[in-house]
Amino acid sequence: MTFDFIEPVVFALLAIGVIAGGAAVVLLSRITAAALLMAFTFLSMAGMFVLLGAETLAAFQVLIYVGAITVLILYGVMFTKFSDRPRALFFQRQTPLAVVFVAAVAIPVALLSFSFTSASPRPGGGDLSALATSVFTDFAFPFEIASVLLLAAMVGAIVLTGRDDPEEAARRRRR
Amino acid sequence: MTVPLGAYVAVSAVLFFIGCAGVLVRRNAVVILMCVELMLNAANLALVAFSRKYGSIDERGSVFVVFVFVIAAAEVAVGLAIILSAYRNRPVVDVDQIHQMKG
Amino acid sequence: MPVGPFGIDPLIWAPLRLIIAVGLALFLVLNGALLQIYLERKIQAIIQDRLGPYHVGPFGLLQTFADALKLISKEDVRAAATDGWFFVAAPALVFCPMLASWVVLPFAQDIVGTNLNIGLLYLTTLGSMTVLGIVIAGWASNNKYALMGGLRSAGQLISYEIPQILALVSVVLVVGSLSMIDITRSQAGPLVNVLILPFPFLIYFIAALAETNRTPFDLPEAESELVAGWLTEYSGMRWGTMLALSEYGNVTVVCAIVTTLWFGGWQGPGVDAIPLLGVLWFTLKVYAFILIMMWIRATLPRLRIDQLMSFCWKGLIPAALVNILVVATLALAFPTTKIPIAIASWVLVVLFVAGIPFVQRRRLRVLRARARASAAPAVRAVS
Repeated sequence: MTFDFIEPVVFALLAIGVIAGGAAVVLLSRITAAALLMAFTFLSMAGMFVLLGAETLAAFQVLIYVGAITVLILYGVMFTKFSDRPRALFFQRQTPLAVVFVAAVAIPVALLSFSFTSASPRPGGGDLSALATSVFTDFAFPFEIASVLLLAAMVGAIVLTGRDDPEEAARRRRR
Repeated sequence: MTVPLGAYVAVSAVLFFIGCAGVLVRRNAVVILMCVELMLNAANLALVAFSRKYGSIDERGSVFVVFVFVIAAAEVAVGLAIILSAYRNRPVVDVDQIHQMKG
Repeated sequence: MPVGPFGIDPLIWAPLRLIIAVGLALFLVLNGALLQIYLERKIQAIIQDRLGPYHVGPFGLLQTFADALKLISKEDVRAAATDGWFFVAAPALVFCPMLASWVVLPFAQDIVGTNLNIGLLYLTTLGSMTVLGIVIAGWASNNKYALMGGLRSAGQLISYEIPQILALVSVVLVVGSLSMIDITRSQAGPLVNVLILPFPFLIYFIAALAETNRTPFDLPEAESELVAGWLTEYSGMRWGTMLALSEYGNVTVVCAIVTTLWFGGWQGPGVDAIPLLGVLWFTLKVYAFILIMMWIRATLPRLRIDQLMSFCWKGLIPAALVNILVVATLALAFPTTKIPIAIASWVLVVLFVAGIPFVQRRRLRVLRARARASAAPAVRAVS
């Protein structure tokens, strides 16, 4: 007897975590709960990356999605005060249409994806050095572009949200 | 007994369409942003799964996941900034009610 | 049938090993927290010319045990307006990443949970997860001081993560591995990394003080401004888990990272003969840094929130970027020797320390000018 049964079990648990968390984000009316469950989805996804042998990406996933993006979104939730309202008002008017549309596309795709019947991906042996080599040789230019994009996003976010001079704001408040 | 590739892709597809439905269905701008993140993440899972299965030794597929991370971070930073500055002008986060630009 | 270590079936050995490892980590965290709280009180008392705890047990050694018993036996109080599940989940969200990071700490040659090839990345990842628990705690408390403490803490932790990771990158550049074991092995003999890379060490240690919410960066729980920050609504063992266990556990983890990366980890005299001696050396080095942190806490006053942020974004991050640039260039230019890197790094340390007074004087001048400009109309109005 070996540990072969563990991988499908872990996969099933992670899949349930991913899908339940994702569904909760869409269905829950409390936004803080949705944000926390989104973090849970991201963590389960990191577990799937580990299962696929991509530990480095899993670490980045947690570092970026759980450590930064979820916290940023929680900030957004806290700064935009959101009062309780009837449940129907959380959804758009075109909900039935959207559900029909998404289901029409989603069900064939989900069924189709099971046609990739090949056995499990090759076992991991650390993807770190291969990943780093790729990023810094073949993809060096896109990497630079990505860093410029991040810089632009940072400056843009500061410009969009930054108030004017603090003294100016204080003077306006006094008036 | 191991997990077939199709299972990973199926989970990815289901999560992608959950996120898609969320973007179409919800009103709150912050929740829409969250659903977009879910969609990006689903794409990541598919990229990693295919890369581990079919990729050559140098992890070309996984590199794109790194770029998706970058884009997700930039997107959420700018998206939240836009939501916050819109909220400052008029305190609503419903995308239905942010229609000042409508002709 | 395959036979694992000690002649046990691997199917039994794997879960057994997990249980032993988790038990050992919990044991170390709990006792480390007790010991560190005692040390903190005693050392601060000595520095401030007081006696410190002395009633319970010899030299007050049992005082923290008594406090822990008090915390455990306390009633589990939860304010009515708090946010149910979140309130309960927050301590776990703070505690679990800290506990998980003990997996990769190399206590001695073979005494390590697992030799992950991304050990250092794993540690930074878990460090960043703490933020989520703190924000949730601040939000769930439904209390404005707790919320402010949580938001401040999130801003502080996210900001100080950047210089921290950038400082680690330069060490990884020189060593060429992210595995904690390989990094330790690379510093055989007396030539430890701190002699080669003192500047990233300085940056990392300052950022780590902020990352673990230690004075002078303990703004999230600034008692005089925010009651107890994000911990305001917590009491009993929830408070104990969050503050005592997690904070001191994080301090230990951070000091273990410093020890492993810059001070040779478990290596020391006599380790080759008796491998178990490595545990002693490792623990001694870690506690030396914990003592330095306590010394700093007893010495320095607290910063203001804007000073904290501007120090990170205008001071530490540019310094860390310059450091990476210099180290990477020199590592590329001189692949065989580390001497140029060492010289450059020491020069950077001298420049950084010497530059502080200049920057400070300039900032003071600007502040005085601004104060004079804003005070002038008021003065005129009065006279």
